[in-house]
Amino acid sequence: MPPAPRLRLTLAAGLLLLGPLLGCATPPPASDPDAVADFKETNDPLEPTNRVMYAINNGLDTVILHPVAVAYRKVVPEPVRHGVHNVLSNLGTPVQLGNDVLEAKSRRAGDTTMRFLINTTIGVVGIFDVAKELGYPNHDNDFGTTLALWGVPEGPFLFLPVLGPSDPRDAIGHGVDIAGDPFTWVGQGAAVTALDWSRYAMTAVDERERVLDAIDSIKKTALDPYATFRSLYRQHRKAQIRAARDDNRATIPIWFPQSQPASSGKD
Amino acid sequence: MLNRRNALGLLSALSVGLTVRAQAASAAEAASSFVKTTGDRLVAVVNGAGSLDARRKALMPIIDSTVDVQGVARFCLGRFWRSATAEQQQQYTQLFHGVLVGNIAVKLGDYRGVKFTLGRAQDRDDGELVSTVIERPNNPPATVQWLIANAATDPKIVDVVAEGTSLRVTQREDYASFLTHNNNSIAALIDAMRKQVSENS
Repeated sequence: MPPAPRLRLTLAAGLLLLGPLLGCATPPPASDPDAVADFKETNDPLEPTNRVMYAINNGLDTVILHPVAVAYRKVVPEPVRHGVHNVLSNLGTPVQLGNDVLEAKSRRAGDTTMRFLINTTIGVVGIFDVAKELGYPNHDNDFGTTLALWGVPEGPFLFLPVLGPSDPRDAIGHGVDIAGDPFTWVGQGAAVTALDWSRYAMTAVDERERVLDAIDSIKKTALDPYATFRSLYRQHRKAQIRAARDDNRATIPIWFPQSQPASSGKD
Repeated sequence: MLNRRNALGLLSALSVGLTVRAQAASAAEAASSFVKTTGDRLVAVVNGAGSLDARRKALMPIIDSTVDVQGVARFCLGRFWRSATAEQQQQYTQLFHGVLVGNIAVKLGDYRGVKFTLGRAQDRDDGELVSTVIERPNNPPATVQWLIANAATDPKIVDVVAEGTSLRVTQREDYASFLTHNNNSIAALIDAMRKQVSENS
């Protein structure tokens, strides 16, 4: 069995247990109701620990991931990077489909299935996103989103080493996604292990390269980058969850008289 | 039975409903065309000739005439606005303007070949939300929404939402966190902002 995903699972689980022991934020005095309301809304009781994790991550990023992402952007031309991104995204479709089904989002599940079939074949193992042109757009999905749609609350903010900003719901979701990924369990031997590791490494580099400019500009402009990342992470997750929740396109069997929606069906 | 008074009432209710809908539609249209014009102006400057500094200077009047700087500044200070003195409020708003221009310049960076496409507009409680897709070289296309207040009369940008993240909400949380870690001292925030502005210009 490849050790990479298991290691990440253990790491995430271990940190969840360890986190609360390290340090807690002091709530403001009850005499200041506005400050108390702010404190509750920020919902970051582990802030001191989280800030330490942020500092460690930031340090690692500065010496490892950031330079690698910059080099990747410099050396590899845009169309190739785009293809790499598409391949990685295509490898994520089984997990995506599983979550579409668990969320009972039939049209999304259909989109994901068609994307996998079309892009793996016509799109040459996912290099070209042909499915998008044919009317099957991509969407984000993961088990954290599924849990949210099931009504699980997000819980307090967490900053995890290596994995970055998160919360208990997303940390558990991340673990479940890895455990539920067929590629985690398929095959064995040195070659498979190497492939697994390369996939994780490439995903990290690809994701980092895509946000190079955004993160640089945040670090340059924010007075408190940690608080800014915390805010951005939560807002972004909320938007992803909202998009999943609001995607209630009807599924009409092909043999059934198709109703014509107000806007043309193609998009 | 539908008597005359009821019928009249129904008719007037209907006509009010229709007017409201018509107004909403025209507000959405006005907001869209405002975003289109403003976007075209911004892109023209960003993609235009001249040094980064010159282009940054050219951005200033556009920002001043299209963004509700005062309103956004107040929003970003949140509950601390009330605890600030009138003088601090004025200093803060002035510095906020400088920070905003600096931040926009950093975000636009030294890009050439920025493209933007207008999407649909939707009605919200606090204004019209107009969607655009912005493409910058080396970056994946980003969905950016513009929140426009008073679209029909005096349209002004009050928020920019990039990939689901609101710029003004993020800024407010940045300031709130800074203030909480600096004994809620607005003077400290003003100092930090002053430093930021002098570093950026």
